[in-house]
Amino acid sequence: MKKKMVLVLAGMMAVSTAFAVPAAADGVTLNVTTTYAGEDSNAQNYKDSVAAWEEETGNKVEDSSATSDEAFKSRIIMDFEAGSEPDVLFFFNGVDANQFVEQGKVVSIDEIREAYPDYAGNMKDDLLGASPVDGVNYSVPVNGYWEGMFVNKQVLEEADVEVPTADMTWDEFLAECEAIKGAGYTPIAASLQEIPHYWFEYAIYNFQSAETHNTVPESVDDEYGQAWVSGLNDIKALYEAGYFPENTLTATDAETFQLFTGDKAAFLIDGSWKIGGIAEAVDDIENFTVVNVPGKGDRKTTDEIGGLSMGYYITRKAWDDEEKRDAAVSFVSFMTSDEVVSKFAGVSATALKEGASPDTSEFNALQIDAIDYTASFTGISPAVQDNLSAAAREPIFADMASIVNGDVDAADAVAAVLEANAE
Amino acid sequence: MSANIYKHKKLIWVFLLPAFLFMLVYLYYPFVQNILNSFQHIKYMGTAGGEWNTPWYVNYTKLLSDVKMRIALKNTVITIAATIIGQVGIALLLSLLVSNIKLGAGFFRTVYFFPIVISATALGLLFNLIFLYDKGMVNQLLQFAGYLDRESNELIDWKSKHAMFTMLTPVIWQYVGFYFVILLTGLSGIPAELYEAATIDGSTKRQMVRYITLPLLRNSIGTCVILAVTGALKVFDLPWTMFVNGMSNTWLTGTYMYSKVYSDVDYASSIAVFIVILGVVLSAAVNRIFRQNDDFEV
Repeated sequence: MKKKMVLVLAGMMAVSTAFAVPAAADGVTLNVTTTYAGEDSNAQNYKDSVAAWEEETGNKVEDSSATSDEAFKSRIIMDFEAGSEPDVLFFFNGVDANQFVEQGKVVSIDEIREAYPDYAGNMKDDLLGASPVDGVNYSVPVNGYWEGMFVNKQVLEEADVEVPTADMTWDEFLAECEAIKGAGYTPIAASLQEIPHYWFEYAIYNFQSAETHNTVPESVDDEYGQAWVSGLNDIKALYEAGYFPENTLTATDAETFQLFTGDKAAFLIDGSWKIGGIAEAVDDIENFTVVNVPGKGDRKTTDEIGGLSMGYYITRKAWDDEEKRDAAVSFVSFMTSDEVVSKFAGVSATALKEGASPDTSEFNALQIDAIDYTASFTGISPAVQDNLSAAAREPIFADMASIVNGDVDAADAVAAVLEANAE
Repeated sequence: MSANIYKHKKLIWVFLLPAFLFMLVYLYYPFVQNILNSFQHIKYMGTAGGEWNTPWYVNYTKLLSDVKMRIALKNTVITIAATIIGQVGIALLLSLLVSNIKLGAGFFRTVYFFPIVISATALGLLFNLIFLYDKGMVNQLLQFAGYLDRESNELIDWKSKHAMFTMLTPVIWQYVGFYFVILLTGLSGIPAELYEAATIDGSTKRQMVRYITLPLLRNSIGTCVILAVTGALKVFDLPWTMFVNGMSNTWLTGTYMYSKVYSDVDYASSIAVFIVILGVVLSAAVNRIFRQNDDFEV
């Protein structure tokens, strides 16, 4: 009986070991994390490209992509700390990556080029997005982003107001919001509780210019610090005027997005990646457009936020693994090839030497409007929040409810951010 | 063999050692390290503390002046009170009712116990939909009943105006069944002869509960209260799923500690130490109140 038991247990162990072998039978399995998930416009393109690479190489991808938010960023940092980082990751090239760059857990492009001279050879090196830690390039970007104001035309029509134009002033925008509110609709779809990022950027941009926006203040009293305070107070004014959804301090981003796509809210400030999400959520994409975010002060309405903020990293763990090194380089090279980048780029900028060549014949009405929108830019600045770590951002982003409620003074919140940033 | 095993005391240590080592590595060592971490400056989660804080106890003085920590503490005390009254109280009531019926007792036992097998995260998502602002179940029912005006789509933001109620409702609901089963087991141990004698003496049902059931259930109730208090101190997943980042000032000590882990590691360690101290003090207090009494043991 005992012998039988031993045999059974040994058999079970052998079977479980067989199933636990991670690598594909005739290839390598790469663990990959990206932000091409959820409502990202390129979520499907990413799946298709991964499948194409798998078929071409016989390798496999264990994908753990997720929507880009603070939780995603924290998860990546935790994975690195726990030693369970992916082999390849598509991540931010700003301060968010400082921790694992400082710890030498990702491989620089120069080091990769010593073994693979053609690596990222199709990209302009000065646009790759050097790390703030040491000015060295670690990541290979795919496509850039811009942020703009998406508009639900049906809501505007029913509120009897015009679609904002490139010369709309801030005061005219406020007048439109008042009219929309008066007609029984929510003027601005935004979850200040979960995603206050876009409004933070544009609100403080309104007190700066394309040249100065990407500057972290040294103190709350300098001109940049005061711009941040004034911007936050503008968000507070919008909240007090009732232009955000009634539950903006408790709603999720998904809930407010549903207000917008469900013809209950007029405006949504979001990124270029949202085009796909909107197209998927609505029946009539022609009912939606994207326009410049109304500006004031030195910021023209046509000065927008945009840039190349993310790229593919190869981790030191994968690089030091003889089996995975080739596959990781092959994967990143494939995903950043001219053909794939052109497919992902759509209406956004790239770092390609030859430029992207997207197939515009298949563009929907919103994508075509987005081409006009990007053509209107007179100035572009990266998002200044990318210069701050998650910990430094917290006093504003996690506490926006307290700021607009008046529980926390905007100047105190900015001071807390700067203090955390200095640590 | 069976007799010899008691003679060889050393053998006992062989069996105890793996469990002890496991506890040492995964409980005691991290616990001591966490105390040390609370006095050190730690830049990133998972990295070792480099230098001692200046002054070394700065995180503990920060605890005293931290407004959010005060909110978390106040909410935790409310949660403890709500779990004692809500969970143990309702469980007691239900167990008394179920113990008095024969038909369907098994059915009710299963129904009340069922929420425990659902993961807290799934429950959180479920209650998010129930208390959803627009088209949520509760708001729709209130509109249907005429309490809210359907024409103007009048709605209640449950996560704002009634945040603590919204958060504690599923927390209480989930664990009622757990205490219900413990108390029902306690009730089944009370000899039927006592009730028969009381009936002959002309006692009413209420008198039997007051003078027989409750005194004899004292130890079971004490166990439930201790579990409820320590459970309330640890509750995290369901509140975090419904009220991420302490939305509407719903911080609990557990959720506040977690939120600080990514931005201020050593401060989060000091909150963890505080939670342990609070847990030990409260458990000791409850133990004292419900000290085991053999006179009433069932």
